[in-house]
Amino acid sequence: MKLIITGVLARLLATTLLATTLLATTAAKAEDMVFTSWGGTTQEAQTKSWAEPFTAASGIKVMQDGPTDYGKLKAMVDAGSVNWDVVDVEMDFAIKAAKDGLLEPIDFTAVPKADLDPRFTTDHAVGSFYYSFVLAWNKGAVSGNPAGWADMFDTKKFPGKRTFYKWSAPGVIEIALLADGVPADKLYPLDLDRAFKKLDTIKSDIVWWGGGAESQQLIASGEATFGQLWNGRVFALEKDGADVGVSWNQNLTAADVLVVPKGAKNKDAAMKFLAAASSPAGQAKFAEASGYAPINTKAKAEMPADVVKALPDAHVDGQINLDMNYWAEHRDEIATRWYAWQAK
Amino acid sequence: MSVETRQSLPTFRMPAGFNGLLPALVLIVLFFVVPVLALLLRSVTEPEPGLQNYATLLGDGTYARVFFNTFLVASVVTIVTVLVAFPVAWMLAIMPSALASIVFGIIILSMWTNLLTRTYAWMVLLQRTGVINRTLMAIGVIDQPLPLINNLTGVTIGMVYIMLPFMILPLVGTLRAIDPMTLRAAALCGASPFQAFHRILLPLSLPGIAAGGLMVFVMSLGYFVTPALLGGTSNMMLAEMIAQMIQSLLNWGLGSAAAFILLVVTMALYALQLRLVGARRMSGGA
Repeated sequence: MKLIITGVLARLLATTLLATTLLATTAAKAEDMVFTSWGGTTQEAQTKSWAEPFTAASGIKVMQDGPTDYGKLKAMVDAGSVNWDVVDVEMDFAIKAAKDGLLEPIDFTAVPKADLDPRFTTDHAVGSFYYSFVLAWNKGAVSGNPAGWADMFDTKKFPGKRTFYKWSAPGVIEIALLADGVPADKLYPLDLDRAFKKLDTIKSDIVWWGGGAESQQLIASGEATFGQLWNGRVFALEKDGADVGVSWNQNLTAADVLVVPKGAKNKDAAMKFLAAASSPAGQAKFAEASGYAPINTKAKAEMPADVVKALPDAHVDGQINLDMNYWAEHRDEIATRWYAWQAK
Repeated sequence: MSVETRQSLPTFRMPAGFNGLLPALVLIVLFFVVPVLALLLRSVTEPEPGLQNYATLLGDGTYARVFFNTFLVASVVTIVTVLVAFPVAWMLAIMPSALASIVFGIIILSMWTNLLTRTYAWMVLLQRTGVINRTLMAIGVIDQPLPLINNLTGVTIGMVYIMLPFMILPLVGTLRAIDPMTLRAAALCGASPFQAFHRILLPLSLPGIAAGGLMVFVMSLGYFVTPALLGGTSNMMLAEMIAQMIQSLLNWGLGSAAAFILLVVTMALYALQLRLVGARRMSGGA
């Protein structure tokens, strides 16, 4: 037995992975498909705005799964047993994953490309929505109005805990550099040494948030007095009547995109779903429900004026686009340093 | 997992009844042995063959710190658990049995409550604007909220709470086996209560403390949820680092190597525990 172990091990691993993924997710029927996203209010909005109308129009059932897990996605592709047909991922991951051969190319004969924002469209991804990192604060816990990212590093003027996104992703590094006086057009290539040095000055005052709901809870409870939040989460807090202030000064845009994992079983249904999700109507509905911006340039015409006003699009003055290509290129290198710095 | 593989060894040598055990063995090999070997294989083949993943883990200051943190947290949790569990176990050992079974029930009940729920409950209690800090501030004990969460304090409180039953239960067994007459004899010979505890009770209960302590320590080493939610990033433990390597960095080779190191350390400690428990059984039987 010892002799054959090494030889069959790789295959056995694949089989076990296959078995576990098969057990973990109910396999979709041939005409159905599985959509995976991040859960919470965002996925609810995606279900209502995209999946339900899509099923009504096409008869294709859309099963919801989640949360998105890059490790799981890679495991499925490696094992050749892909149960997810469309996945909502961060754009820098999508660029990297396409390079690593984890994604199907988008069939643009099935997905109309003309009106899609080219910033968020690639050969292997269609925009899902785009968002801004904004500065939000609990009005009851902060005296005065923080005016920009530099205030998050001013512990004298604004004492108390501040909250930032925990994972290595576009955003916090840029914020530290902007606060340290780097001009917006000189951000890239990122000066990591300078960014971490700046972050060191407030490290003990940082509370990290790992997910959107956590960021809302931290600000609403005053556990953190202010922080870097996704604009959609601030939008939801305001809708719920929480007493929050928001600064759009130097808001940082990033995007989620929809991808089809390599070897997805229901590729045709997936492409049809992408067409519906990225359509003006689908994008308008989702933006209205979530406060995130549409990636279809025709969507705004179908939306109420007050919703359009609350979108990142209304704050293009001083808006900074986080460089997804730079991040895709340096993802691993930055992540290694990021987690090492955090663990210090 | 380690329990099954270990127990399978002696039965494997038994020729009689071997055929009946075959399905169980196949199951264990397929679902426990093969994945562990696959893990080992991955750790020395990805991204290229060699031991570079282990060299990275053992040679890099960051990973060394995470290993250190893991052992620090597990040690602190074990020590605090022993200190809290001992009086409770002693109380249970000498209580009237009807009352003791009620207290046992309460302890067991806490184990049946979902781990995540219990950890979130601690978040609500411990945070700066949480119940504990608000109460202390309202009655004027403190002016500033105490930092009880996102640090070692939070992890220790949350994990000790979860680990307590695993310490109390074996300890009660040991304490009940101690003849109460030995304590009376000590008192009759003029020993103070402290001397009686220090020279009689503690040495006699040591096997129970060692068994429970090792179990708590080993379980703490691989803990994920509680440190992730109640700890800060600077107290990161190995399990969280492995999750990061697998899910976010997609560096499966490095993650597998870290997981394998954790497994080896855990197995070594488990072997130690088996020896200790074996020793205790022998002394108890004599």
